[in-house]
Amino acid sequence: MSGQRIGSRVQSLSAKGERAAASTTVMPFQIRGRSFTAVVLELAGAADQAFYAALDALLQQAPHFFTNAPFVIDLDKAASLQLNGDFTRLVRELRGRKLSVIGVQNGSMGQNAAALGAGLIALQGGRDVPAERDGGRGSAAASTPEPAPATLLITEPVRSGQRIFADRGDLVVVNSVSSGAELIAQGSIHVYGRLRGRALAGVNGDKTARIFCQSLEAELVAIAGLYRTSDDLGPAVRQQRVQAFLRDERLCLEPLK
Amino acid sequence: MAKIIVVTSGKGGVGKTTSTAAIGAGLALRGHKTVVIDFDVGLRNLDMIMGCERRVVFDFINVIQGDAKLKQALIKDRRLDNLSILPTSQTRDKDALTRDGVEQVLTELREEFDYVICDSPAGIERGAHLAMYFADEAVVVTNPEVSSVRDSDRVLGLLSSKTYRAEKGEAAVKPHLLLTRYDPQRVSRGEMMKVEDILEILAIPLLGIIPESPTVLRASNVGTPVVLDPKSIAGKAYEDAVSRLIGEQLETRVRPMERPGLFQRLLRRTA
Repeated sequence: MSGQRIGSRVQSLSAKGERAAASTTVMPFQIRGRSFTAVVLELAGAADQAFYAALDALLQQAPHFFTNAPFVIDLDKAASLQLNGDFTRLVRELRGRKLSVIGVQNGSMGQNAAALGAGLIALQGGRDVPAERDGGRGSAAASTPEPAPATLLITEPVRSGQRIFADRGDLVVVNSVSSGAELIAQGSIHVYGRLRGRALAGVNGDKTARIFCQSLEAELVAIAGLYRTSDDLGPAVRQQRVQAFLRDERLCLEPLK
Repeated sequence: MAKIIVVTSGKGGVGKTTSTAAIGAGLALRGHKTVVIDFDVGLRNLDMIMGCERRVVFDFINVIQGDAKLKQALIKDRRLDNLSILPTSQTRDKDALTRDGVEQVLTELREEFDYVICDSPAGIERGAHLAMYFADEAVVVTNPEVSSVRDSDRVLGLLSSKTYRAEKGEAAVKPHLLLTRYDPQRVSRGEMMKVEDILEILAIPLLGIIPESPTVLRASNVGTPVVLDPKSIAGKAYEDAVSRLIGEQLETRVRPMERPGLFQRLLRRTA
Protein backbone atom coordinates (compact mmCIF):
# COMPACT_ATOMS: atom_id res chain seq x y z
CA MET A 1 0.00 0.00 0.00
CA SER A 2 1.50 3.33 -0.81
CA GLY A 3 0.04 6.62 0.19
CA GLN A 4 1.22 10.12 -0.22
CA ARG A 5 2.90 12.17 2.36
CA ILE A 6 1.52 15.61 3.01
CA GLY A 7 4.61 17.78 3.06
CA SER A 8 4.88 20.24 5.85
CA ARG A 9 4.93 23.22 3.54
CA VAL A 10 2.35 25.88 3.91
CA GLN A 11 1.92 28.27 1.02
CA SER A 12 0.70 31.75 1.74
CA LEU A 13 -0.39 34.47 -0.61
CA SER A 14 1.49 37.69 -0.11
CA ALA A 15 0.01 41.12 -0.74
CA LYS A 16 1.22 41.08 -4.36
CA GLY A 17 -0.52 37.80 -4.95
CA GLU A 18 2.73 35.85 -5.34
CA ARG A 19 3.05 32.52 -3.70
CA ALA A 20 5.75 32.39 -1.03
CA ALA A 21 6.65 29.01 0.37
CA ALA A 22 7.12 29.09 4.11
CA SER A 23 7.82 25.87 5.92
CA THR A 24 6.10 25.59 9.23
CA THR A 25 5.50 22.46 11.23
CA VAL A 26 2.12 23.09 12.72
CA MET A 27 0.68 19.58 12.45
CA PRO A 28 0.90 17.31 15.52
CA PHE A 29 1.15 14.23 13.30
CA GLN A 30 2.47 13.13 9.93
CA ILE A 31 0.89 10.84 7.43
CA ARG A 32 3.01 8.71 5.16
CA GLY A 33 2.67 5.59 3.13
CA ARG A 34 4.43 2.40 4.04
CA SER A 35 4.06 -1.13 2.75
CA PHE A 36 3.92 -4.19 4.91
CA THR A 37 3.55 -7.79 3.81
CA ALA A 38 0.29 -9.37 4.93
CA VAL A 39 -0.46 -13.07 5.18
CA VAL A 40 -3.39 -14.13 3.03
CA LEU A 41 -5.44 -17.12 4.06
CA GLU A 42 -7.59 -18.45 1.22
CA LEU A 43 -10.65 -20.08 2.71
CA ALA A 44 -11.58 -23.13 0.63
CA GLY A 45 -15.14 -23.43 1.92
CA ALA A 46 -16.96 -22.67 5.15
CA ALA A 47 -15.33 -21.44 8.35
CA ASP A 48 -16.50 -24.58 10.12
CA GLN A 49 -15.13 -27.01 12.71
CA ALA A 50 -12.90 -28.70 10.13
CA PHE A 51 -11.37 -25.34 9.21
CA TYR A 52 -10.58 -24.40 12.81
CA ALA A 53 -9.25 -27.89 13.52
CA ALA A 54 -6.87 -27.65 10.54
CA LEU A 55 -5.86 -24.16 11.61
CA ASP A 56 -5.14 -25.35 15.14
CA ALA A 57 -3.03 -28.17 13.73
CA LEU A 58 -0.97 -25.71 11.67
CA LEU A 59 -0.51 -23.41 14.67
CA GLN A 60 0.70 -26.30 16.79
CA GLN A 61 3.37 -27.15 14.22
CA ALA A 62 4.55 -23.58 13.67
CA PRO A 63 3.36 -21.47 16.56
CA HIS A 64 5.32 -18.39 15.52
CA PHE A 65 4.39 -18.49 11.84
CA PHE A 66 1.74 -15.80 12.12
CA THR A 67 3.06 -13.81 15.05
CA ASN A 68 2.53 -10.08 14.50
CA ALA A 69 1.57 -10.67 10.88
CA PRO A 70 -1.35 -8.64 9.53
CA PHE A 71 -3.82 -11.26 8.43
CA VAL A 72 -6.13 -11.06 5.41
CA ILE A 73 -8.89 -13.53 4.55
CA ASP A 74 -9.47 -14.29 0.86
CA LEU A 75 -13.21 -14.75 0.31
CA ASP A 76 -13.05 -15.92 -3.32
CA LYS A 77 -14.26 -19.44 -2.44
CA ALA A 78 -15.96 -18.61 0.83
CA ALA A 79 -19.50 -17.86 -0.22
CA SER A 80 -20.83 -19.20 3.05
CA LEU A 81 -19.56 -16.14 4.89
CA GLN A 82 -22.21 -13.54 4.21
CA LEU A 83 -23.65 -12.06 7.38
CA ASN A 84 -22.21 -9.65 9.86
CA GLY A 85 -22.49 -12.40 12.45
CA ASP A 86 -20.36 -14.76 10.34
CA PHE A 87 -17.54 -12.25 10.26
CA THR A 88 -17.80 -11.27 13.89
CA ARG A 89 -17.54 -14.92 14.82
CA LEU A 90 -14.55 -15.40 12.50
CA VAL A 91 -12.73 -12.40 13.95
CA ARG A 92 -13.37 -13.60 17.49
CA GLU A 93 -12.13 -17.13 16.74
CA LEU A 94 -9.01 -15.92 14.92
CA ARG A 95 -8.10 -13.28 17.45
CA GLY A 96 -8.64 -15.86 20.19
CA ARG A 97 -5.86 -17.80 18.51
CA LYS A 98 -3.67 -14.66 18.53
CA LEU A 99 -4.07 -14.09 14.78
CA SER A 100 -4.32 -10.39 13.96
CA VAL A 101 -6.89 -10.38 11.20
CA ILE A 102 -7.21 -6.90 9.68
CA GLY A 103 -9.17 -7.34 6.48
CA VAL A 104 -10.59 -9.36 3.62
CA GLN A 105 -9.99 -9.54 -0.14
CA ASN A 106 -11.88 -10.80 -3.21
CA GLY A 107 -15.22 -10.60 -1.44
CA SER A 108 -18.56 -9.62 -2.96
CA MET A 109 -20.06 -6.25 -2.15
CA GLY A 110 -22.32 -7.84 0.44
CA GLN A 111 -19.46 -9.69 2.04
CA ASN A 112 -17.34 -6.52 2.15
CA ALA A 113 -20.15 -4.63 3.87
CA ALA A 114 -20.61 -7.39 6.44
CA ALA A 115 -16.85 -7.58 7.02
CA LEU A 116 -16.77 -3.82 7.55
CA GLY A 117 -19.42 -4.22 10.22
CA ALA A 118 -17.12 -6.64 12.01
CA GLY A 119 -14.25 -4.16 11.97
CA LEU A 120 -12.41 -5.55 8.94
CA ILE A 121 -11.42 -3.63 5.81
CA ALA A 122 -11.90 -4.76 2.22
CA LEU A 123 -8.51 -4.65 0.51
CA GLN A 124 -7.95 -4.20 -3.21
CA GLY A 125 -4.91 -4.92 -5.31
CA GLY A 126 -1.81 -6.23 -3.65
CA ARG A 127 1.11 -8.20 -5.03
CA ASP A 128 2.27 -11.71 -4.14
CA VAL A 129 5.53 -11.93 -2.22
CA PRO A 130 7.24 -15.07 -0.87
CA ALA A 131 5.98 -15.73 2.66
CA GLU A 132 8.85 -15.55 5.13
CA ARG A 133 9.04 -17.80 8.15
CA ASP A 134 11.09 -17.11 11.24
CA GLY A 135 11.95 -20.05 13.47
CA GLY A 136 9.75 -22.36 11.43
CA ARG A 137 10.29 -25.93 10.39
CA GLY A 138 13.69 -27.25 9.45
CA SER A 139 12.87 -27.44 5.78
CA ALA A 140 11.94 -23.79 5.56
CA ALA A 141 12.45 -22.36 2.11
CA ALA A 142 15.68 -20.39 1.86
CA SER A 143 14.96 -16.72 1.51
CA THR A 144 15.39 -15.64 -2.08
CA PRO A 145 18.33 -13.29 -2.50
CA GLU A 146 17.61 -9.71 -3.51
CA PRO A 147 17.55 -9.52 -7.31
CA ALA A 148 20.57 -7.71 -8.74
CA PRO A 149 19.87 -4.05 -9.43
CA ALA A 150 19.33 -3.21 -13.07
CA THR A 151 18.48 -0.08 -14.99
CA LEU A 152 15.44 -0.03 -17.24
CA LEU A 153 16.14 1.81 -20.50
CA ILE A 154 13.32 3.19 -22.65
CA THR A 155 14.08 4.75 -26.04
CA GLU A 156 10.59 5.19 -27.49
CA PRO A 157 8.36 8.08 -26.46
CA VAL A 158 6.30 7.23 -23.40
CA ARG A 159 2.73 7.80 -24.53
CA SER A 160 -0.21 9.10 -22.54
CA GLY A 161 -1.72 6.34 -20.41
CA GLN A 162 1.40 4.17 -20.42
CA ARG A 163 2.91 3.21 -17.13
CA ILE A 164 6.59 2.22 -16.92
CA PHE A 165 7.72 0.54 -13.71
CA ALA A 166 11.42 0.00 -13.00
CA ASP A 167 11.29 -2.35 -10.04
CA ARG A 168 14.99 -3.10 -9.81
CA GLY A 169 16.71 0.22 -9.91
CA ASP A 170 16.83 3.29 -12.08
CA LEU A 171 14.69 4.26 -15.03
CA VAL A 172 16.21 6.03 -18.02
CA VAL A 173 14.06 7.43 -20.82
CA VAL A 174 15.89 8.68 -23.88
CA ASN A 175 12.86 10.46 -25.31
CA SER A 176 9.96 12.52 -24.08
CA VAL A 177 7.24 11.55 -21.68
CA SER A 178 3.71 12.59 -22.62
CA SER A 179 1.11 14.15 -20.39
CA GLY A 180 -0.92 11.38 -18.76
CA ALA A 181 1.99 8.90 -18.69
CA GLU A 182 3.49 7.51 -15.48
CA LEU A 183 7.10 6.66 -14.67
CA ILE A 184 7.63 4.68 -11.48
CA ALA A 185 11.03 3.53 -10.25
CA GLN A 186 12.57 1.98 -7.22
CA GLY A 187 15.65 4.11 -7.85
CA SER A 188 16.16 7.35 -9.75
CA ILE A 189 14.46 8.56 -12.89
CA HIS A 190 16.35 10.19 -15.76
CA VAL A 191 14.45 11.72 -18.68
CA TYR A 192 16.54 12.91 -21.62
CA GLY A 193 13.60 14.80 -23.04
CA ARG A 194 10.49 16.59 -21.85
CA LEU A 195 8.88 15.25 -18.72
CA ARG A 196 5.18 15.98 -19.00
CA GLY A 197 3.54 13.15 -17.08
CA ARG A 198 4.08 11.87 -13.56
CA ALA A 199 7.41 10.67 -12.17
CA LEU A 200 7.61 8.74 -8.91
CA ALA A 201 11.11 7.78 -7.81
CA GLY A 202 12.25 5.81 -4.78
CA VAL A 203 8.85 4.15 -4.45
CA ASN A 204 10.14 1.54 -2.04
CA GLY A 205 11.32 4.21 0.35
CA ASP A 206 14.71 5.11 -1.12
CA LYS A 207 15.14 8.70 -0.04
CA THR A 208 18.36 9.11 -2.01
CA ALA A 209 16.56 8.67 -5.31
CA ARG A 210 16.49 11.65 -7.65
CA ILE A 211 14.61 12.74 -10.72
CA PHE A 212 16.43 14.38 -13.62
CA CYS A 213 14.89 15.81 -16.77
CA GLN A 214 15.71 18.17 -19.63
CA SER A 215 12.45 20.07 -19.42
CA LEU A 216 10.28 19.96 -16.35
CA GLU A 217 6.62 20.13 -17.36
CA ALA A 218 5.50 17.32 -15.12
CA GLU A 219 2.05 16.90 -13.65
CA LEU A 220 3.51 15.41 -10.49
CA VAL A 221 6.96 14.52 -9.15
CA ALA A 222 7.46 12.38 -6.08
CA ILE A 223 10.41 10.86 -4.24
CA ALA A 224 9.82 8.23 -1.57
CA GLY A 225 6.24 9.35 -1.10
CA LEU A 226 6.82 13.11 -0.92
CA TYR A 227 5.24 14.82 -3.89
CA ARG A 228 4.72 18.14 -5.60
CA THR A 229 2.18 18.82 -8.32
CA SER A 230 2.39 21.00 -11.38
CA ASP A 231 0.85 23.88 -9.43
CA ASP A 232 3.70 23.85 -6.94
CA LEU A 233 6.58 23.80 -9.38
CA GLY A 234 7.17 27.51 -9.60
CA PRO A 235 8.45 29.59 -12.55
CA ALA A 236 12.12 29.10 -11.72
CA VAL A 237 12.10 25.44 -12.68
CA ARG A 238 9.26 25.14 -15.17
CA GLN A 239 10.52 23.93 -18.56
CA GLN A 240 14.10 24.02 -17.29
CA ARG A 241 16.70 21.26 -16.95
CA VAL A 242 16.03 20.23 -13.39
CA GLN A 243 16.93 17.71 -10.75
CA ALA A 244 14.60 16.83 -7.90
CA PHE A 245 15.83 15.40 -4.62
CA LEU A 246 14.97 15.15 -0.95
CA ARG A 247 16.70 17.35 1.55
CA ASP A 248 15.58 17.55 5.17
CA GLU A 249 12.33 15.77 4.38
CA ARG A 250 11.45 18.31 1.70
CA LEU A 251 11.26 17.79 -2.04
CA CYS A 252 13.66 20.28 -3.64
CA LEU A 253 13.79 21.22 -7.30
CA GLU A 254 16.93 22.81 -8.63
CA PRO A 255 17.90 23.79 -12.16
CA LEU A 256 20.89 21.94 -13.56
CA LYS A 257 23.69 24.13 -14.87
CA MET B 1 -0.93 -9.15 -50.11
CA ALA B 2 -3.11 -6.24 -49.11
CA LYS B 3 -2.24 -3.53 -46.66
CA ILE B 4 -4.60 -3.14 -43.70
CA ILE B 5 -4.84 0.47 -42.65
CA VAL B 6 -6.80 1.54 -39.57
CA VAL B 7 -8.18 5.06 -39.32
CA THR B 8 -8.32 5.79 -35.62
CA SER B 9 -8.14 8.70 -33.22
CA GLY B 10 -9.29 8.02 -29.67
CA LYS B 11 -11.32 11.21 -29.62
CA GLY B 12 -14.74 11.19 -31.24
CA GLY B 13 -15.94 13.50 -33.95
CA VAL B 14 -12.54 14.42 -35.38
CA GLY B 15 -13.12 13.07 -38.88
CA LYS B 16 -12.36 9.35 -38.91
CA THR B 17 -15.31 8.30 -41.04
CA THR B 18 -14.92 11.27 -43.37
CA SER B 19 -11.24 10.44 -43.76
CA THR B 20 -11.90 6.73 -44.29
CA ALA B 21 -14.30 7.54 -47.10
CA ALA B 22 -11.97 10.10 -48.62
CA ILE B 23 -8.88 7.92 -48.42
CA GLY B 24 -10.74 4.89 -49.69
CA ALA B 25 -12.11 6.82 -52.65
CA GLY B 26 -8.74 8.46 -53.28
CA LEU B 27 -7.01 5.09 -53.47
CA ALA B 28 -9.70 3.69 -55.74
CA LEU B 29 -9.34 6.70 -58.05
CA ARG B 30 -5.72 5.76 -58.50
CA GLY B 31 -6.60 2.27 -59.59
CA HIS B 32 -6.10 0.32 -56.35
CA LYS B 33 -8.79 -2.19 -55.37
CA THR B 34 -9.96 -0.85 -52.03
CA VAL B 35 -12.49 -1.89 -49.41
CA VAL B 36 -13.60 0.25 -46.48
CA ILE B 37 -14.98 -1.49 -43.36
CA ASP B 38 -17.12 0.08 -40.67
CA PHE B 39 -16.10 -1.10 -37.18
CA ASP B 40 -18.50 1.20 -35.35
CA VAL B 41 -21.09 -1.45 -34.53
CA GLY B 42 -24.35 0.03 -33.37
CA LEU B 43 -23.47 3.57 -34.44
CA ARG B 44 -22.68 3.01 -38.08
CA ASN B 45 -22.00 6.00 -40.27
CA LEU B 46 -19.70 4.84 -43.03
CA ASP B 47 -22.57 3.57 -45.15
CA MET B 48 -24.24 7.00 -45.02
CA ILE B 49 -21.07 8.90 -45.82
CA MET B 50 -20.51 6.60 -48.79
CA GLY B 51 -24.10 6.99 -49.92
CA CYS B 52 -25.03 3.31 -49.84
CA GLU B 53 -27.25 3.13 -46.76
CA ARG B 54 -30.23 2.08 -48.84
CA ARG B 55 -28.44 -0.92 -50.24
CA VAL B 56 -27.39 -2.59 -47.00
CA VAL B 57 -28.75 -6.12 -46.77
CA PHE B 58 -26.10 -8.09 -44.90
CA ASP B 59 -23.39 -6.61 -42.73
CA PHE B 60 -20.04 -7.28 -41.04
CA ILE B 61 -21.66 -8.92 -38.01
CA ASN B 62 -23.72 -11.23 -40.22
CA VAL B 63 -20.51 -12.38 -41.88
CA ILE B 64 -18.69 -12.90 -38.56
CA GLN B 65 -21.57 -14.97 -37.24
CA GLY B 66 -21.79 -17.02 -40.41
CA ASP B 67 -25.25 -15.82 -41.40
CA ALA B 68 -24.00 -14.50 -44.70
CA LYS B 69 -21.07 -14.79 -47.04
CA LEU B 70 -18.65 -11.91 -47.43
CA LYS B 71 -19.70 -11.49 -51.07
CA GLN B 72 -23.30 -10.95 -49.99
CA ALA B 73 -22.37 -8.23 -47.53
CA LEU B 74 -19.91 -6.28 -49.67
CA ILE B 75 -21.45 -3.35 -51.52
CA LYS B 76 -19.82 -2.07 -54.66
CA ASP B 77 -19.62 1.70 -54.94
CA ARG B 78 -21.67 3.02 -57.86
CA ARG B 79 -19.20 5.71 -58.80
CA LEU B 80 -15.87 3.92 -58.52
CA ASP B 81 -15.31 0.39 -59.78
CA ASN B 82 -12.41 -0.30 -57.47
CA LEU B 83 -14.20 0.64 -54.28
CA SER B 84 -16.29 -1.60 -52.04
CA ILE B 85 -17.88 -1.06 -48.66
CA LEU B 86 -18.46 -3.55 -45.84
CA PRO B 87 -21.07 -1.94 -43.62
CA THR B 88 -21.73 -2.96 -40.04
CA SER B 89 -24.81 -3.66 -37.98
CA GLN B 90 -26.90 -0.88 -36.52
CA THR B 91 -28.93 -3.12 -34.24
CA ARG B 92 -26.09 -4.90 -32.47
CA ASP B 93 -23.23 -3.47 -30.46
CA LYS B 94 -19.48 -3.91 -30.22
CA ASP B 95 -19.71 -7.05 -28.12
CA ALA B 96 -20.75 -8.84 -31.29
CA LEU B 97 -17.23 -8.42 -32.68
CA THR B 98 -14.86 -11.30 -31.99
CA ARG B 99 -11.16 -11.40 -32.67
CA ASP B 100 -11.37 -14.65 -34.62
CA GLY B 101 -14.30 -13.38 -36.65
CA VAL B 102 -12.50 -10.18 -37.51
CA GLU B 103 -9.36 -12.11 -38.41
CA GLN B 104 -11.27 -14.40 -40.76
CA VAL B 105 -12.98 -11.55 -42.57
CA LEU B 106 -9.76 -9.57 -42.94
CA THR B 107 -7.89 -12.62 -44.24
CA GLU B 108 -10.56 -13.15 -46.88
CA LEU B 109 -10.54 -9.47 -47.84
CA ARG B 110 -6.77 -9.42 -48.10
CA GLU B 111 -6.91 -11.92 -50.94
CA GLU B 112 -9.18 -9.82 -53.07
CA PHE B 113 -8.16 -6.21 -52.40
CA ASP B 114 -5.01 -4.05 -52.42
CA TYR B 115 -6.03 -1.86 -49.52
CA VAL B 116 -8.32 -2.63 -46.58
CA ILE B 117 -9.27 0.52 -44.68
CA CYS B 118 -10.80 0.00 -41.22
CA ASP B 119 -12.93 2.83 -39.87
CA SER B 120 -12.43 2.65 -36.12
CA PRO B 121 -15.04 3.81 -33.61
CA ALA B 122 -14.05 6.42 -31.05
CA GLY B 123 -12.63 5.29 -27.72
CA ILE B 124 -10.11 2.65 -26.75
CA GLU B 125 -12.34 -0.28 -25.87
CA ARG B 126 -13.32 -3.37 -27.79
CA GLY B 127 -14.43 -1.85 -31.09
CA ALA B 128 -11.40 0.41 -31.42
CA HIS B 129 -9.11 -2.32 -30.17
CA LEU B 130 -10.29 -4.83 -32.77
CA ALA B 131 -10.19 -2.26 -35.55
CA MET B 132 -6.49 -1.64 -34.91
CA TYR B 133 -5.46 -5.13 -33.87
CA PHE B 134 -4.58 -6.51 -37.30
CA ALA B 135 -3.43 -3.27 -38.89
CA ASP B 136 -0.20 -2.82 -40.82
CA GLU B 137 -0.44 0.96 -40.83
CA ALA B 138 -2.48 3.50 -38.91
CA VAL B 139 -3.81 6.91 -39.82
CA VAL B 140 -4.23 8.82 -36.57
CA VAL B 141 -6.78 11.54 -37.14
CA THR B 142 -6.25 14.55 -34.88
CA ASN B 143 -7.82 17.96 -34.52
CA PRO B 144 -5.42 20.77 -33.64
CA GLU B 145 -6.63 21.07 -30.07
CA VAL B 146 -5.35 19.75 -26.75
CA SER B 147 -7.84 17.03 -25.91
CA SER B 148 -7.63 15.51 -29.37
CA VAL B 149 -3.83 15.51 -29.23
CA ARG B 150 -3.81 13.82 -25.86
CA ASP B 151 -6.25 11.15 -26.99
CA SER B 152 -4.22 10.54 -30.14
CA ASP B 153 -1.15 10.14 -27.99
CA ARG B 154 -2.96 7.49 -25.97
CA VAL B 155 -3.94 5.68 -29.13
CA LEU B 156 -0.34 5.74 -30.35
CA GLY B 157 0.65 4.01 -27.14
CA LEU B 158 -1.95 1.32 -27.78
CA LEU B 159 -0.83 0.88 -31.39
CA SER B 160 2.66 0.12 -30.19
CA SER B 161 1.59 -2.35 -27.54
CA LYS B 162 -1.87 -3.86 -28.09
CA THR B 163 -1.73 -4.96 -31.69
CA TYR B 164 -0.91 -8.27 -33.34
CA ARG B 165 2.37 -6.90 -34.65
CA ALA B 166 3.41 -5.62 -31.23
CA GLU B 167 2.47 -8.84 -29.48
CA LYS B 168 4.30 -11.04 -31.97
CA GLY B 169 7.35 -8.80 -32.08
CA GLU B 170 6.96 -8.02 -35.78
CA ALA B 171 7.69 -4.66 -37.41
CA ALA B 172 5.64 -2.00 -35.65
CA VAL B 173 2.39 -0.63 -37.02
CA LYS B 174 3.41 2.36 -39.14
CA PRO B 175 1.67 5.47 -37.82
CA HIS B 176 0.70 8.53 -39.88
CA LEU B 177 -0.66 11.80 -38.53
CA LEU B 178 -3.64 13.31 -40.32
CA LEU B 179 -4.55 16.75 -39.04
CA THR B 180 -8.18 17.58 -39.77
CA ARG B 181 -10.44 20.59 -39.36
CA TYR B 182 -7.39 22.81 -39.51
CA ASP B 183 -8.24 26.51 -39.54
CA PRO B 184 -5.16 28.67 -40.27
CA GLN B 185 -6.82 31.82 -39.00
CA ARG B 186 -7.60 30.30 -35.64
CA VAL B 187 -4.07 28.97 -35.45
CA SER B 188 -2.62 32.43 -36.04
CA ARG B 189 -4.92 33.80 -33.34
CA GLY B 190 -3.55 31.21 -30.97
CA GLU B 191 -6.85 29.40 -30.52
CA MET B 192 -5.74 26.24 -32.26
CA MET B 193 -2.47 24.38 -31.80
CA LYS B 194 0.31 24.84 -34.34
CA VAL B 195 1.46 21.98 -36.52
CA GLU B 196 4.97 22.09 -35.04
CA ASP B 197 3.64 21.80 -31.48
CA ILE B 198 1.47 18.85 -32.38
CA LEU B 199 4.34 17.10 -34.15
CA GLU B 200 6.56 17.72 -31.15
CA ILE B 201 4.11 15.97 -28.86
CA LEU B 202 3.09 13.11 -31.13
CA ALA B 203 6.39 12.63 -32.99
CA ILE B 204 5.04 10.67 -35.96
CA PRO B 205 5.24 11.47 -39.69
CA LEU B 206 2.68 13.95 -40.98
CA LEU B 207 0.40 12.51 -43.65
CA GLY B 208 -1.55 15.65 -44.39
CA ILE B 209 -3.38 18.71 -43.15
CA ILE B 210 -7.07 18.86 -44.06
CA PRO B 211 -8.49 22.35 -43.72
CA GLU B 212 -11.84 23.06 -42.15
CA SER B 213 -14.31 23.29 -45.01
CA PRO B 214 -18.09 23.50 -45.43
CA THR B 215 -17.77 21.12 -48.35
CA VAL B 216 -17.22 18.24 -45.91
CA LEU B 217 -20.69 18.58 -44.42
CA ARG B 218 -22.23 19.00 -47.85
CA ALA B 219 -20.48 15.87 -49.06
CA SER B 220 -21.70 13.78 -46.14
CA ASN B 221 -25.23 15.11 -46.61
CA VAL B 222 -25.35 13.79 -50.15
CA GLY B 223 -23.39 10.65 -49.39
CA THR B 224 -20.31 11.36 -51.46
CA PRO B 225 -16.72 11.09 -50.28
CA VAL B 226 -15.41 14.67 -50.21
CA VAL B 227 -12.49 13.75 -52.44
CA LEU B 228 -14.93 13.42 -55.33
CA ASP B 229 -15.92 17.08 -55.04
CA PRO B 230 -13.59 18.89 -57.47
CA LYS B 231 -14.13 22.29 -55.85
CA SER B 232 -13.31 21.27 -52.32
CA ILE B 233 -9.99 22.27 -50.77
CA ALA B 234 -10.49 19.51 -48.24
CA GLY B 235 -10.86 17.07 -51.09
CA LYS B 236 -7.59 18.24 -52.65
CA ALA B 237 -5.85 17.95 -49.31
CA TYR B 238 -7.11 14.37 -49.01
CA GLU B 239 -5.72 13.64 -52.47
CA ASP B 240 -2.30 14.85 -51.32
CA ALA B 241 -2.61 12.71 -48.23
CA VAL B 242 -3.38 9.65 -50.33
CA SER B 243 -0.31 10.34 -52.46
CA ARG B 244 1.86 10.36 -49.40
CA LEU B 245 0.18 7.26 -48.08
CA ILE B 246 1.14 5.27 -51.17
CA GLY B 247 4.69 6.53 -50.93
CA GLU B 248 4.92 9.61 -53.09
CA GLN B 249 6.88 12.49 -51.59
CA LEU B 250 4.89 15.67 -51.44
CA GLU B 251 5.49 18.90 -49.63
CA THR B 252 2.87 19.69 -47.03
CA ARG B 253 1.12 22.91 -47.76
CA VAL B 254 -1.79 24.42 -45.99
CA ARG B 255 -4.18 25.81 -48.54
CA PRO B 256 -5.60 29.10 -47.26
CA MET B 257 -9.30 29.32 -46.79
CA GLU B 258 -11.02 31.57 -49.27
CA ARG B 259 -10.95 35.03 -47.81
CA PRO B 260 -14.25 36.78 -48.34
CA GLY B 261 -13.92 39.78 -50.64
CA LEU B 262 -14.57 43.37 -49.48
CA PHE B 263 -18.14 43.32 -50.75
CA GLN B 264 -18.97 40.09 -48.96
CA ARG B 265 -17.46 41.37 -45.75
CA LEU B 266 -19.59 44.49 -45.96
CA LEU B 267 -22.67 42.40 -46.55
CA ARG B 268 -21.91 40.31 -43.48
CA ARG B 269 -21.53 43.43 -41.37
CA THR B 270 -24.87 44.87 -42.27
CA ALA B 271 -26.74 41.59 -42.12
